Amino acid sequence: MIPDEGNEELRIGVYVCHCGSNIAGVIDPTVVAEYATTLPGVVRAINTPYACADSGQNLIKEDIEKYDLNRVVVSACSVRMHEPTFRAAVSEAGLNPFLMEMANIREQCTWAHGHEPEAALEKAKDLTAAAIAKAAFLTPLDMITVPVTKRAMVIGGGVSGISAALDLGDQGIETILVEKEPTIGGVMAQLNKTFPTMDCSI
Amino acid sequence: MVDAARHPKVDVRTYTEVERVEGFVGNFQVQLREKSRRVLADRCNGCGECAQVCPIEVPNCFEMYLAPRKAIYVPMSQSVPLIYTVDETACIHCYKCVEACGKLDAIDFDLQDRVTWEDVGAIITATGFSHFDPSVIPEYGYGRFPNIITAMEMERLNNSAGPTAGDLIRPSDGKHPKSLAIINCVGSRDTRFNPWCSNFCCMYAIKNALLVQQHYPDTEITIYYMDIRTPSKGYEEFYARARELGIRFTQGRPSLITEDPETHNLFVHSEDRDLGQVTEREYDMVMLNQAAVAQPDVDTVSSLLNITQSPGGWFMEYHPKLRPMDSPTDGVFLAGACQGQKDIPSSVAQGSAAAARAGRVLHSDEWEIEPVVAVVWEDRCIGAQGKKCGICSRACPYGAIEYEPGKPAQVITAKCHGCGGCVAECPHNAITQMHFTDAQILAQIRALLARNPEEKILAFRCHWCSYGGADMAGTSHFEYSPNERGLRVMCSARMDSDFIYEAFRLGAGAVLFSGCHSQDCHYITGQPVGERRAERLLGQFEKAGMTPGRFRIEWISAAEGDRYAEVINEMQAVLDSIPREQLLEEIERLRPEMEKRARRMREAPQVDEALEFADRLAEAMLVVEPS
Repeated sequence: MIPDEGNEELRIGVYVCHCGSNIAGVIDPTVVAEYATTLPGVVRAINTPYACADSGQNLIKEDIEKYDLNRVVVSACSVRMHEPTFRAAVSEAGLNPFLMEMANIREQCTWAHGHEPEAALEKAKDLTAAAIAKAAFLTPLDMITVPVTKRAMVIGGGVSGISAALDLGDQGIETILVEKEPTIGGVMAQLNKTFPTMDCSI
Repeated sequence: MVDAARHPKVDVRTYTEVERVEGFVGNFQVQLREKSRRVLADRCNGCGECAQVCPIEVPNCFEMYLAPRKAIYVPMSQSVPLIYTVDETACIHCYKCVEACGKLDAIDFDLQDRVTWEDVGAIITATGFSHFDPSVIPEYGYGRFPNIITAMEMERLNNSAGPTAGDLIRPSDGKHPKSLAIINCVGSRDTRFNPWCSNFCCMYAIKNALLVQQHYPDTEITIYYMDIRTPSKGYEEFYARARELGIRFTQGRPSLITEDPETHNLFVHSEDRDLGQVTEREYDMVMLNQAAVAQPDVDTVSSLLNITQSPGGWFMEYHPKLRPMDSPTDGVFLAGACQGQKDIPSSVAQGSAAAARAGRVLHSDEWEIEPVVAVVWEDRCIGAQGKKCGICSRACPYGAIEYEPGKPAQVITAKCHGCGGCVAECPHNAITQMHFTDAQILAQIRALLARNPEEKILAFRCHWCSYGGADMAGTSHFEYSPNERGLRVMCSARMDSDFIYEAFRLGAGAVLFSGCHSQDCHYITGQPVGERRAERLLGQFEKAGMTPGRFRIEWISAAEGDRYAEVINEMQAVLDSIPREQLLEEIERLRPEMEKRARRMREAPQVDEALEFADRLAEAMLVVEPS
């Protein structure tokens, strides 16, 4: 089942976050963790008050060693929020960061179904189970590194663009400041004095 | 402004537009078109003798059309760079300017646009905002009554560098106004036009009131406001000072402005909440403090840089709290009012913040990108067997797949952005996408539909837009049916037909196929690849007799949380409208066709194992269900 390193046994750890009352105020994370315990491949499932806090991350890291985990599922918030956090955490514990999968039981569950806690709980279970299903087939991956052209472009020569270009320039970065009008300055250049200092805009 | 022009590391390119953006973080290529000024930048010294002899006058947009400029012009005397430009739409080609320029020989009517490609590692978008046109508010009479001006017109009229050298005069008769009304929230906080607060206008009204009072102490000035918003440092004190200095503040939104046709004086009809009554007061002049709105060309910039828009056309940040300067495109950052209406101090701060964010990339020798790339299973690719195909290569928006008959298709990893379009398009299951493999996704589908599938709405969402839209729904606490079960892929292009067939085969009540709006697609043309496939599926399902609405296609941006919730609720309403027995019967009736259509899904690597695991998982999920 696990394509890497021969056919080692699947050992998934599942961490169900309370996120204070953001998740736990609607559903009981311990129920989700207990449910996960019964699912194939799961050797450890536990709730944690804040998975992203040091305590939560340390729990995951310690468990990776203690339970010899080779996959981690974090049922918590959006991947847009904390995927980098948990990838870094499992990586510090020696697990490839791409062997971590998240289930979004906050933004896409408790926050969206606050008035239907029972249905939200069932959804949280399903989302966690789906993350376990995906986790079982995750493979270790390495980030792709690309070279960086040390030059910048700022599009728009108003006050914000000028500020950005000057700061980049002062950092020693060659910067192209592009403005579609014949002069830079934008709306700011049209203004008389500016608040709250009442100084000249240009 | 001058600092930017003088900075040895800053190359100011004015009269220049961005035409194309290619590449990725650390490695962008940008095509710029420097429009021809008909004036040579290295020869023009800004003396202005050309403009003096030019016989053509047109209204100067920099002066809000309150003053003329010539057909060869600089927008203002402090222009940076101080180089004249020929306005070809006004020029009559008399060439008097060429004569006046004389030996300097800076004017060249044959000068063409210059197109260049620039390599850059990061891009900061600081395209700013525009102003609401108050002439669309009929009750205010802007455009009909000469003594009603906009805030921007006020800026020019009381500016010592402006058309009247700082003399505030009434357009109708050139006299100084003895009384002035400033009306706030014109086009802002008005659901007919823009729901938002434009952020800086309260302070801006106070500033203009104080400037006019300073210049003409006997002017009676009234500011009509709904609320005065002064949340930044020093702002409330500024407001207090204005009250001490005798600026009158009237709480009320004027409902009508009328004019005395003889004097061109204006009557402002408004509630005055302090008095608790409707008032009608006469003024010599009225200034409308118009709303900040998005730039008119915001769609163009959006699609060049793949930046999603919030409602109203403001650019959407990656995360409103944690990554406010980052756009959803790695290596592209946002600064200033293009991201949302804001004042000068905030715009300057954002400019610096965006520079710092861009600096993270630009000071690195290498940058890491996610390895969610496509991989060809060479022994499955029919190209290797000498057959004609190349579907993958045609589906790729980046030219990242090389296809030659007789050889397996080759993915150029550095060019692959990981949309997964080729994976879903390949009819032979010969390509997979790392971290979003068929096996992984099919296993997820089975888990999500393990329990009471007929009640479920399986929602396929792209990472950048509709997954973000679902997040936004949650963040905003827009509630929707908890029967929704979401599944994330990078792009709608990755949503394989097999996934949809499998979902219906498993008995899903409804399936949502959602991604970015076409112009927001993170992968140039990924969304259209997904859309074509989804439309094809819709046709098949209609033909097969599926109840309309059980398969739905929707494009939802990361800003449209309300839309996401609405779509899911509408899908729930469709499910609720079908009697359960009828729905189960329909699922059974369509199952053989779904099975037949999805018959090749097992060809992809590891799918058999994944399905076997998912079945065991589903079994376990069902065992613990009764509670």
